[in-house]
Amino acid sequence: MKRRPIRSDFEKEALPHLGALYAAALRMTRNEKDAEDLVQEALLRAYRFFDTFEAGTNCKAWLFRILTNVFCNQYRERERENVVMTEAESSSANLEQFLSGAGADGSETEKALLGRMVSADVERALASVPPDFRMAVVLADLEDFSYKEIAEIMDCPAGTVMSRLYRGRKILQGLLYEYAVEQGIITPAAEPSAGKGSHSATATGPVDLEAYRRKRAEGERE
Amino acid sequence: MNCGEATATVQAYVDGELDGVDRESVERHLVACSNCSGRVRLQTRFRAAVRAHLHRPEVPFTLRRRVEEALASQPIAPRRWPGWLSMSRVVPAAAALFLIVAITTTVRQRNSLVLQQAENAYHAELPMDITGSDCGSIASWFRGRLEFPVHAPALGGGATCQGGRLVNVGEHPAAYLVYRVSDGHRVTFLVFDPRDQPFESRQRRVVNGREIYLGSGPGISTAAYRDRGLGYVVTSDMDEDTLARLVMTSFTR
Repeated sequence: MKRRPIRSDFEKEALPHLGALYAAALRMTRNEKDAEDLVQEALLRAYRFFDTFEAGTNCKAWLFRILTNVFCNQYRERERENVVMTEAESSSANLEQFLSGAGADGSETEKALLGRMVSADVERALASVPPDFRMAVVLADLEDFSYKEIAEIMDCPAGTVMSRLYRGRKILQGLLYEYAVEQGIITPAAEPSAGKGSHSATATGPVDLEAYRRKRAEGERE
Repeated sequence: MNCGEATATVQAYVDGELDGVDRESVERHLVACSNCSGRVRLQTRFRAAVRAHLHRPEVPFTLRRRVEEALASQPIAPRRWPGWLSMSRVVPAAAALFLIVAITTTVRQRNSLVLQQAENAYHAELPMDITGSDCGSIASWFRGRLEFPVHAPALGGGATCQGGRLVNVGEHPAAYLVYRVSDGHRVTFLVFDPRDQPFESRQRRVVNGREIYLGSGPGISTAAYRDRGLGYVVTSDMDEDTLARLVMTSFTR
């Protein structure tokens, strides 16, 4: 049987993703040393199981799945100890409500918030998002994985991906809003108008797409 | 679709997860409802802003070396054919692979992903990682961030550079450059590694001995070509002919 030069194949397929893997690892472990260890461990594991990788399929998603797996097994416990649930998670309002609470100034507030956002604050906010939600945000917003790919990487249903992503972004938005208020960039709304307006954006979370489609199909049949 | 239903699908819409009927019904609602379209705009901007502020860190040299050393110290993995190659595994795997290949082929035939990406990026007006009117310093900002050097194409017609943004095309980082032409049109260049990114699918025209591929999306035109081993997709709100002439001027400069 023909024997492939496996190491060069592996290097060609996997190493181009080193930058993406390291970036994600850094945001998951939140320190450089752990990030390096995590990436090295994930790549070694990928190398050992490289013959189970189907050539021609999405190597990046495959590697991220391994990275996530190693992270959950080895770093997650430690990570959990360090997690202090942020106020932002318990506060029920999200950015839209803060902005609608700001009334007519909403669009000015939005402009100030987005326009004066700085990288250090975004990194700090992201680091405060609990791990599962943070991972969903990193995979979707920084690495452009689809819900389906994230579901495979995180080994959960697509509906869970949607809710993690929804909550992760909401926490991120809440924290960035808080920072901006602290820094005097924006003036806080008197009352975040949770529930204001008949169809508040946050009253419903993300919907399960399949459930939505089923419902629509039923509607059409009627 | 009412607001409640639209709200529930805004996230999936913003994430580009809707297509076909789902996408159309959300869009029909968005046209009519400023409340929901505002929500989409806010979420899109927020996502783009967060992304623009989270830079991809440099891979430490130590990590590269550690990975290389670790791989070198591994014995060559024995091929695990005997156990692995049992029919019960191979048959479903082959079927899955066939399906994946079939899906990929259909997608490729229907549309080029990189053209689609350029059009989406154009409409989204993504925030820039680097802004400024000096094309040279924008091009040099990409140094070390990409696996190839970027030259900002020199355009005629009083075009000025506006900024640049690091994007991904397929699996690889790529450059996105934004110009403003004197008559107010916006022109963007997506500069990428064209390997595995077919775009030669649309109307072909030969300009100065060079092949360019013209196409159009809703309200915009695209021109795609190769130059010195790199792929370029130019997108603008001008018509195809004007865009083709503009691209031609960049060839002669």
